[in-house]
Amino acid sequence: MTTKKKRSAHTSNDSWVVIAADSALDKTKLDDGDPTFIRLRNPATGAASQYLFSRGDVRLYEVKAFVEDFHSWFIDQTVQRDGRLLYVTPMDPLFLLLPYLQSGAVEGKFQPLQQIVMDEDYPGCTRMLKCTQALDTLQHVADEKVVGSQKFHRYSQEKTMDWLKKKVLNTVSALKKSDISVGGGVKSTTYVRVKQETDVTEEDYLRYAHGLISEYISEDLSKDLHKHLQLPEISSPKEVEPPSKKRKLSDKPVEAGEDYTKFNSADFARKPPKKMTAAQKTLAKVDKTGMKSMSSFFSPKVKQEIK
Amino acid sequence: MAMNSCVTVVQLGSGTQVHQSEVHLLPCDIEHDGAAQVAEFFTPTVKERKHEKTVSFRGRGLKGQEVTHPQGYTGLVLKEVQKPSSDQEDRVVKVSSVFHNFTYWNLETPPTSDDRVMMSMAWPKLAEMMRAPVED
Repeated sequence: MTTKKKRSAHTSNDSWVVIAADSALDKTKLDDGDPTFIRLRNPATGAASQYLFSRGDVRLYEVKAFVEDFHSWFIDQTVQRDGRLLYVTPMDPLFLLLPYLQSGAVEGKFQPLQQIVMDEDYPGCTRMLKCTQALDTLQHVADEKVVGSQKFHRYSQEKTMDWLKKKVLNTVSALKKSDISVGGGVKSTTYVRVKQETDVTEEDYLRYAHGLISEYISEDLSKDLHKHLQLPEISSPKEVEPPSKKRKLSDKPVEAGEDYTKFNSADFARKPPKKMTAAQKTLAKVDKTGMKSMSSFFSPKVKQEIK
Repeated sequence: MAMNSCVTVVQLGSGTQVHQSEVHLLPCDIEHDGAAQVAEFFTPTVKERKHEKTVSFRGRGLKGQEVTHPQGYTGLVLKEVQKPSSDQEDRVVKVSSVFHNFTYWNLETPPTSDDRVMMSMAWPKLAEMMRAPVED
């Protein structure tokens, strides 16, 4: 197992192992057509990613592939060589609409949605306009004008920042309630993960949530959001501070340039610094361990493989 | 461009009972797609002691752990019904079977919550957090 051998290319892929939200394949409303996997423009990368519309395009889901080398499935009495596990999870369509709204905002005009949300490369994007959550929440990121029976929209950076901030804060409070560890708990060896509250600061939660949300927005928006959240830059290590003053744990500049906006790169690999103090070791865990493990194995490349 | 080539329809059918599969994730690349005598040569040799499963596969000791999906989620095996004859046609898949848990096998070492497969099970929860609409 240790030798790296080249895998021969998968010849035909006609079977997939999927873990899907039950709502995605809801069987009610038979008349509305079947759910469909579709390629849409990923708001963070600008490249194609795989998504799924539920029946009638009412809800949007994202499709992420969990991949590890050298894995295959046994399914009853068959072998499936492709050891990937696909996750189909609900997603806020507003994230995907944002880039369209933003690029439509250049002239600062109010426009009908149908004119804003169109894409030669991804014609399926118009289907997002049927998503309940998209239409219901559009006012969070755009100004709206009603003329007669028609609605017109214009992207608002200010509203978007507030909306994204709320998303981050929601995520923070959900994280706190959950048993998902943003810190050292990831290293636990017991089967049930125990959250370790100690050492995890509010800022750690904020950073973690900002990192998660940044996977759905452009790098520019991610930077703007970082400022809007007033998160201290961790990539500026030469902060002048009296040496006697005890620093807050998360101000420590372990690995300068460690930045959550990088999560979309598939080859995001982290090397631990050579020498670390005890505090730095703790921080190394607190800040990043959980995040790395969640994001780095969902390689964006493979999302596109179901065509 | 052929827009249809980007779409894969999931045929749900009117939904009678779907077959439940027994599913194992193995820590090796098996260069084969198709029939295998899993029930004859693999499953019968699985030993279960307390929480740990062990099995010998191709002379290697594997250690396994049952993995249950997050609540509200189901495991599905999707199969392509028929290859499209041109890229103007949608691809069509159907749910060929479902599974409510699977056995995850490690080579030599017992599975732990630090294993990436285990951690990936936390993803749906995170995704739901970020999906939730915000209050006005």
